[in-house]
Amino acid sequence: MVKRKVGALEKVEADLASLQYRCRRDPSSYQEDFQNQWNQYETYRELFLTNPTTTDDSGVVSLRELIDFVAHCADCFPTITAQFPDQLIQLLTLHHEELDMELRDKIVGSLVLLRNKDVIDSSTLLNTLFPILVTTSSKSLRQLLFSKILSDLRASNTKGTNHRLNRTIQTVLYNLLTSDRESPKGIWAVKITRELWKRQIWTDAKAVEIMKEASLSENEKVIVGGVRFFLGGDKEREEAAEDSSDGESDIDMAKLRHQAGINKKSKKKGRELKKAAATVKKKERKKNAPHPLNFSALHLLHDPQGFAETLFSKHCQNSKSKLPLESKLQVLNLVSRLVGLHKLTVIALYSYFLKFLTPRQASVTSFLACLAQATHNLVPPDVLEPLVQKIANEFVSEAAASEVAAAGLNAIREICARQPLAMNDTLLQDLVMYRKSKDKGVVMAARGLLSLYREVGADLLKKRDRGKDAAIGITTGTIKERRFGEEDAGDLQGLELLAQWKEEERRKKREAMGLPAELGTDEEEEDEAEDWKNWDVESDSSDDSEGWINVESDGEDINISDSEDEKPRPAKKTKLDTAEGDAEKENKSKSEEPDSAAAAKSIPKLLTTTIMTPADLAKLRELQAAQQLKSNMPSAKRRAALANAHYDDAITAESIEAPALLGKKKTKEEKIAMAKGDREEHHQSTTAKRKEKKAAEGKSTTNKEKARKKNFLMTLGKAKGKQKRSLVDVRRTLKGHIDRQKRGGKRGNAGR
Amino acid sequence: MGSSARKKKEKKKDFQVGKTKAKPVNFTDTNFRAKSIVLTQQSLSANAPTLAAQCAHHLSLLNHKSDTQRRESLAYLTTAITTTPPGAPLPQPASVILPAVQRLILDGSNGVRTQLLKLLQALPEAEIAAHSDQLVLHARAGMTHLASEIRTFSLDVLEWLLRVAGDEVVSGPGGWVKMLHCFLGLLGWQQQQKQEPRSGLEIGKWSATKAFGKPGSEAKVQVRQMQALTAFLKTGLCVPVKKAEELRTKDQYAASFFPLWQTENHLLPQRSYAFAHLNLFGTARDEEAEMYEDREDRQRVFRERAEKAVTAGMEQAVKAGGELGRAGAMLRRVLREGMADFGGEMAA
Repeated sequence: MVKRKVGALEKVEADLASLQYRCRRDPSSYQEDFQNQWNQYETYRELFLTNPTTTDDSGVVSLRELIDFVAHCADCFPTITAQFPDQLIQLLTLHHEELDMELRDKIVGSLVLLRNKDVIDSSTLLNTLFPILVTTSSKSLRQLLFSKILSDLRASNTKGTNHRLNRTIQTVLYNLLTSDRESPKGIWAVKITRELWKRQIWTDAKAVEIMKEASLSENEKVIVGGVRFFLGGDKEREEAAEDSSDGESDIDMAKLRHQAGINKKSKKKGRELKKAAATVKKKERKKNAPHPLNFSALHLLHDPQGFAETLFSKHCQNSKSKLPLESKLQVLNLVSRLVGLHKLTVIALYSYFLKFLTPRQASVTSFLACLAQATHNLVPPDVLEPLVQKIANEFVSEAAASEVAAAGLNAIREICARQPLAMNDTLLQDLVMYRKSKDKGVVMAARGLLSLYREVGADLLKKRDRGKDAAIGITTGTIKERRFGEEDAGDLQGLELLAQWKEEERRKKREAMGLPAELGTDEEEEDEAEDWKNWDVESDSSDDSEGWINVESDGEDINISDSEDEKPRPAKKTKLDTAEGDAEKENKSKSEEPDSAAAAKSIPKLLTTTIMTPADLAKLRELQAAQQLKSNMPSAKRRAALANAHYDDAITAESIEAPALLGKKKTKEEKIAMAKGDREEHHQSTTAKRKEKKAAEGKSTTNKEKARKKNFLMTLGKAKGKQKRSLVDVRRTLKGHIDRQKRGGKRGNAGR
Repeated sequence: MGSSARKKKEKKKDFQVGKTKAKPVNFTDTNFRAKSIVLTQQSLSANAPTLAAQCAHHLSLLNHKSDTQRRESLAYLTTAITTTPPGAPLPQPASVILPAVQRLILDGSNGVRTQLLKLLQALPEAEIAAHSDQLVLHARAGMTHLASEIRTFSLDVLEWLLRVAGDEVVSGPGGWVKMLHCFLGLLGWQQQQKQEPRSGLEIGKWSATKAFGKPGSEAKVQVRQMQALTAFLKTGLCVPVKKAEELRTKDQYAASFFPLWQTENHLLPQRSYAFAHLNLFGTARDEEAEMYEDREDRQRVFRERAEKAVTAGMEQAVKAGGELGRAGAMLRRVLREGMADFGGEMAA
């Protein structure tokens, strides 16, 4: 049936809209009129409550309009409308299933309006809307409520974080998830949390806790929602932040100002200009603001070990869990990610993998990626060894397809990169032999394995495979076998370079000042103070403006160095020899023998005694870059790549499959597409491009260009006067003609 | 364009070639052949749809968008009701007609409303009482309506209702207090009650009664309103003459049954929903929505909530004199009569 348009109020002379306008302008004068309308609203409400399912158009329409009217005026007449929010809430909670759709939406909208007018508070609103969101069967209402809830949460968090509200809502969501683990209602908790996480409104551990409960629920949708959040929520957040930072950023102030000068001036234009300026300023400030420090969801987890264990035992190991393979893989992905990231010990996980490691298993590369991801240097090698063995047996053989072999080799490489002790020499030597295979993918994978072990465990390789660096290292004893559980001492790359550089600088300066090249401890400390002075990279001018630095001047400067002497500054010259003899001795030894061993000793000193300023760090980076340029050898490159690999990063099935793609023959079309790359197809001359760019920037054209583009009808009048020109003009024109002919056209070819 | 499209379509149908669309596999042919078809319930009347069916049709037409159609349907129903011989049942029972019809109290068209009043007056009076609460609600909605015509019209409805089922109206849930408030708002006496010092200076009345028309017509409207209020107060506050007689006869009746007292209280109640005042199934009522079944209750509430305002307004009306003064005097008489016995109690 077509909906009839009824307006009981249309036919009469008065309408609510104008009354609303007047009420809001001057509440005290129109109180009586408002009271009448309020009475009417009350009667309509009573009429409606006697039969809430009514579809009688005129009654519903009038009630809807009255609700709208009252909601808009509610803040002007707080005493009369004291009951109004409660009535709306009651109407909605009791009858939301059977209410007329438009009326229902109007009630929701009015409640939100009341919230925006601060008639009710956020928690009342959310506590009303949320239970309906969870229970209602109407899709459109759910959508509406979801958007309203989100927007209200966002709005109440714009000025500052509304901790109290967030906490209440988080508790509600948490309780929703934990009260009934099998119901699909929890999906709303997941959706809301994810959305707020994405928008960086909720960035705390409580939100993560909600998602943790979601991934431990019994309902598949909820589980997948929770797991997906952990796997992709942070990336989504970053992307959203990027989008918001570079979206609609192209407000061209110069152009706007120019237009304001040309176009008719009006208040509106002025306001627009001001607004644009404010936006630009805001954006600028935002750009300069420090990046908010957000921890990833995986790092905010409270008890990762317990979480990983329960997740694994509940959804993967448990034979009763009925998750489909896809979801199970996601859960497994999360578990292994947790294990890899936090270096957890979940021993059962590795034996669980064993039965999936066959080439016929569906999406086996994902399993391989998960396995590699779950490996870290604290996993006992004897747990991993059978897995590596099985991969080698199942995947890497002459009988297997080349893609399979490549994937297997790559998986083994990824595992061993994280735990080199999982390999034994016979197997490794076998696998390395595949670098003589005919397939390119397999060759590359095997070479990858070989180069890995040249770095991490060369003694497992045959002598001729070890390579020059590793062979030398083994004979000289610099490369030692790593034991299980052994950790490197903390180190900063290139630190020795920085130390060297600092030493040199100091010596130069002292020589310039006419002091002996040696220096005492206190002066060293002074240097540190000076370092603090040129904190920023910009202010680091020690290279070219030495004359400006007055070493003696600032006695009351910040002194954060760890040295023990707390004596006043004037006494410093007297105690050159006594207080820190050790340090002095060390300094001496350092300067006397520029040996590598001594340098190694000094590094921890630099690390433990000083706080690096940004200037220091910038210099460090510079030195590192210079060093890299020096050693551009492939082995150095390889080592750098190995050092740069973050073993707590995620591995995907694609990275396992990558080498197999090397051996694949491409079709002609693919090759052409690759060769073309993402270059643009459309050809344009440089001039045209330049012109287009100019036009896009809103810059004006030259007078010549304007003349050329002028409508010819406008030029007719001028042409008519051709006969009346003076002789001088005629001569000029003729000369111009000759000149143009010589040049070859009006614009000519200037280069000729 | 529309008609040409239709023509084209028709033409296309004329020249359609090809086969009909193939039937799906699970198609079941429900055709059958028979020598004769006999319907078990076949009306023998020649004029095909019965009166009842036609009435039902017209009831559904009350939602029609054209006000002429609505008015005509109402007229049809009215004639149908008036032409039914006394004693015979109505073509449609009043319990069907009333809920469908009562919304039209708020109808925008004048003709529809007047016709509606005729229909209501045509209905048998005994049947109204059971539906009075809904009717009162609608009448009240009309009295608070934005449009002055509807406000005035609903007074007509209210007067009719008071005549037909006065007792139910004043004792229904919310029927007393809310109605009083309604009247005060209508007459504009509320403001005076709240803010005494604002004597003659009226600021920013927008749609109040006084804003419309010439002073003469305005006075007329106010007279109508005061008359309605008088009728309402009379029903609520005064002891009806009939009832007084009844009481007297009841005493005699009871005396005749001398040893048995208050027999009627132990008999089955004569009206429907006898325990409505207990409000067993509805939501909790506040003071305004409460039922005031007793005359004394009504007097008390009137004294507390409205008497001051009504007296003040009434005095002003009496001072104004003329038609208005006469209405004021009527109201004063009713008030004195109604509150006579109550005032004594308060003093004591």
